[in-house]
Amino acid sequence: MNKRTNGMIAVLLAVILVLAACGGNSEGQPSNAGSTGNTDGAAGQTAELKPYELTVAFLSIGQIKDLPEVQAEVNKITQAKINATVKFLPIDIGAWQQQMNLMLAGNEPLDILVTSTGLNFGTQAAKGQLVELDELLEKYGADIQKVVGGDVIKAGSSGGKIYAVPSVRDWAADYGLVMRKDIVDKYQIDVDAIKSLDDMTAVFQTIKDNEPGMAAVLPEGPSFSVIQSIVGSVIDPLGDENGVLVGFDGELKVVNWYETPEYASLVKKARDWYNAGFIPKDISTNQTTSEQLIKANKAFAFMAHMKPGYESKESLLAGTPLVAARISPAISTTSSIANIMFGIARNSKDPERAMMFLNLLYSDAELVNLIDYGIKGKHYEVKEGNIIGFPAGVDSSNATYNPTHGWMWGNQLLSHIWEGDSADLWTKLDEFNNSAVKSKALGFSFTADPVKTEVAAVQNVKDQFKIGLENGTLDPESYLPEYIAKLKSAGMDKIVAEKQKQLDEWAAANK
Amino acid sequence: MASRKDNLFQICIHAFFIILALMCLMPFALLLTTSFTSEASIVKEGYSLMPSQWSLEAYRFLWSDIDNIARSYGITILVTLIGTFVGLSISALLSYPMSRRDMPMRKQLAFYVFFTMLFNGGLVPTYIIYTQVFDMKNSLLALIIPGLLTNGFFVLIMRTFFQNSIPHDIIESASIDGAGEFKIFFRMILPLSLPILATIGLMQTIGYWNDWFNGLIYITDSKLFSLQNLLNRILLNAQFIQNNASTLNAGEVSNASIPLETVRMAMAVIGVVPLLCAYPFFQKYFVKGLVIGAVKG
Amino acid sequence: METTASAAAAKQVERSREARKARSPVLKKLKRFAPLFIMIIPGVIYLFINNYLPMLGLMIAFKDVNFAKGILASDWIGFKNFEYLFKTEDAWIITRNTLLYNITFIILNLIIAVGIAILLNEVKKKVAARFYQSIVLIPYLISMVIVGYLALAMLSGETGFINKQILPMLGIDPVSWYSEPKHWPVILVIVNIWKNAGYLCIIYLAAIIGIDPEYYEAATIDGAGKWRQITHIMIPLIMPVITIMTLLQIGRIFYSDFGLFYQVPLNTGELLSTTNVVDTYVYRALINLGDIGMSSAAGLYQSIVGFVLVLLSNYVVSKRNRDNALF
Repeated sequence: MNKRTNGMIAVLLAVILVLAACGGNSEGQPSNAGSTGNTDGAAGQTAELKPYELTVAFLSIGQIKDLPEVQAEVNKITQAKINATVKFLPIDIGAWQQQMNLMLAGNEPLDILVTSTGLNFGTQAAKGQLVELDELLEKYGADIQKVVGGDVIKAGSSGGKIYAVPSVRDWAADYGLVMRKDIVDKYQIDVDAIKSLDDMTAVFQTIKDNEPGMAAVLPEGPSFSVIQSIVGSVIDPLGDENGVLVGFDGELKVVNWYETPEYASLVKKARDWYNAGFIPKDISTNQTTSEQLIKANKAFAFMAHMKPGYESKESLLAGTPLVAARISPAISTTSSIANIMFGIARNSKDPERAMMFLNLLYSDAELVNLIDYGIKGKHYEVKEGNIIGFPAGVDSSNATYNPTHGWMWGNQLLSHIWEGDSADLWTKLDEFNNSAVKSKALGFSFTADPVKTEVAAVQNVKDQFKIGLENGTLDPESYLPEYIAKLKSAGMDKIVAEKQKQLDEWAAANK
Repeated sequence: MASRKDNLFQICIHAFFIILALMCLMPFALLLTTSFTSEASIVKEGYSLMPSQWSLEAYRFLWSDIDNIARSYGITILVTLIGTFVGLSISALLSYPMSRRDMPMRKQLAFYVFFTMLFNGGLVPTYIIYTQVFDMKNSLLALIIPGLLTNGFFVLIMRTFFQNSIPHDIIESASIDGAGEFKIFFRMILPLSLPILATIGLMQTIGYWNDWFNGLIYITDSKLFSLQNLLNRILLNAQFIQNNASTLNAGEVSNASIPLETVRMAMAVIGVVPLLCAYPFFQKYFVKGLVIGAVKG
Repeated sequence: METTASAAAAKQVERSREARKARSPVLKKLKRFAPLFIMIIPGVIYLFINNYLPMLGLMIAFKDVNFAKGILASDWIGFKNFEYLFKTEDAWIITRNTLLYNITFIILNLIIAVGIAILLNEVKKKVAARFYQSIVLIPYLISMVIVGYLALAMLSGETGFINKQILPMLGIDPVSWYSEPKHWPVILVIVNIWKNAGYLCIIYLAAIIGIDPEYYEAATIDGAGKWRQITHIMIPLIMPVITIMTLLQIGRIFYSDFGLFYQVPLNTGELLSTTNVVDTYVYRALINLGDIGMSSAAGLYQSIVGFVLVLLSNYVVSKRNRDNALF
């Protein structure tokens, strides 16, 4: 009997130790850093670096059957340059949140992970699951800072410290309406004349009158709303849209977006469109993507946030040529940048080496191409100049490495361009990013922790009203006031005040 | 007279069950036909029992991943067999003593089991124990162990059955005859309890077969994915790509044209059909009149 | 003072001596039941490791977890993690919805599952009985996500089976199901029964099958009809199973089937007044926050409500029949 109790106590102690050890790293880190301390001088001195295996977790969405081969090739590069091997850890999007939460809570080997505002970046930074990067960037991240400079890199910060670096892709978006070209031509619609939502109404009316069975306008996709798809042209959502900046040239004044006259007029517009039959009646239960609905002749156009090359890609998806009318210039906010980033996990035994690897992702074209497209000659072939494509006999259905994740890995501008896109895609993208209107709060990111109770309650209210109002299925006459009242009682004002406070502190620190 | 009344009664029952069966089958039939419909006609006309355009594209899509799917079937079958057998054994061994009215501390024991049905410490501690104390990440054990007792629910149900369907005096008489507790349990109790063992066994089988959650949190090695886990991942990835197609470039959209609606249904079909085929095996043990006589004889 | 203390000490010594004397029958008893105790060892140990050890994590509900500090060293914050559960005006609605739905489910599932089980038992043709048994189980095997899509196929405003086929036949105007919350209590109850009754009925069927046929024979000789056999023999004999199933379900009364309340209404905002329950509220609240302290708090809250209710109902049951009680 006594023995059994002892055994149980032993297991119990083991568990307590494990639970305690989960956080032990913060103290452990300096000594870990010490073990590789002799490398502090310069990143290039590979001879002095001890071998290390970096575990790199990323979102797996495409075909990665041949990842082991690619990994072996990647290791040739990384061993030569930073004497590290890389162990890729692909995690499916459906499993990501759970597995990443647990891996970060436990003490598993993990050095680098993909993160984003939508993947709990805020919580990860606030709860101490990510390593602060400022110093590491200073020491080992010269190439990162070269490409992702100034305000852009601050998008991955929390409480004034940087915790993640964004990949180089579209850091901005322009907004507008994407339409079927054949129908635009048929009714001789002047695409360039569409400059605002009001201009669209007449176009929609034409479709409604002449194309029965075809929805005039759709949101960007299921579980989006028509307004949501273009709202970024009017506000900087400051992350979660609880407290926003209206316009891009005003002062740093956080307001409750849903209370503003701008919002009221937008949802009124949605309601008018819904009542006029432009937005399909069953929009709230629609489960089909807008591209598919266009393909099936059930829709004419959809609202979207776009980037260079957007129409040509969407045309492929919709199976018919599309044209876009843009109602705003490119706009860049923290949210559009912090969409996909890399962070270094608290679990990492060698954060410095992790940073060296990240730095390679922003400077080594060979490495980036390898990860993005696989092995040359096997997974892709150079077609012409910088354009690549599948080798003969291979297509997307039998490809063994077709991960479609270039947007995730460091500097995408270093990579080749897949056939189907124009050869100057990256140049255009770069111009697009540089010329974008920058939000006054670019680089500010909100930490929700102090008002998490309110954020939780507000989210439920938003789920109840937001999409309905913004698709016009709910009448704003009666539901908008109810929405606002419920938001207030859930504590929206407290969130707005907290956000203002954090924004002011940020502004003061960045003067 | 009585037999005519009986016949009428039987007819009514059959009529009732035929209606019930239709209610259960109709949605399943819809699921089945949808999986054989072309994606285009679903987008146009919605689901239908008689679609305008039949198609095998969903199954063709799944077939292109046949290596993985075949392997995951193997893993699911293995995990289900072992898990059900071990789980059923532990449950029976735990619930039988609890059912004995003379067993000391039986109420406390029942409480010990029941308490686990309500309170749990959440995922993080469980995960830490299994991965760091027992090192089960990326092992088949992680698919088997966490589901063994399914919260004590089955244990308490079994206890009630043992308690009520096995007369106490036959245990007493056996023990007077000199049979040990283990002999009584294996030679008398288990054979008498075949219906409930089959019931709980079936429920555990369904539980293991449909479990995707343990795979989701403990498995990152794609070679160890169970069927539901693999299907879930394929589906969610496809959904993610479609909904986030704006992130991609033109060269990358080929992946986004998966016939999602029909694939979803085809996945449900290939997940459910094997279970339905396994059902008759359990039904064999749903035998009436398995009573003392059978054992005594 | 001193004397009373020493007297108390003496009394204690005496008591422990008595205890030692009494131990020998205990030992004997232990020996007699040793095989039974051996039987329970695997299960007891398993539950200890799988369920009791992780309960240390319940403290997360009262902590502001910071992984840099570790779970144990994180700050205690009292009930702050629980606040969001009560902070909203909807707290009352979600509590009401959760309880009413679960009570309805418990009662209707019981009646219908037992009813189907009794009827299945009466089917004389074995092949037919087996066939029906398999068929009623099918709904349970289909995942809730799929059920959500099938429900949409039935209820969709424009292409739905009910609006297109059934209602016109009855001369009723089409209903926009997904924007009128008042229909959903009925829809969700039907979906729940459709999905679970077949599964639950197997348990009751196993209980009915286990009834000694001699009981019926005796009753038939007494001239009792089918109805009397059912009400006077069958139901009383499966009462313990019914009781235990009900008690176990009461324990989960503050939990709800997330898929049923989230996937089947397709997360439609307009329907929230009749479809929001504790689990969906928590899911929506935390989807962007990912705070493990707050999710633990919700789980603990649900458990405690269930626990108290089970203790109460178990007490009531054990008053009437000690044997039917859970513990």
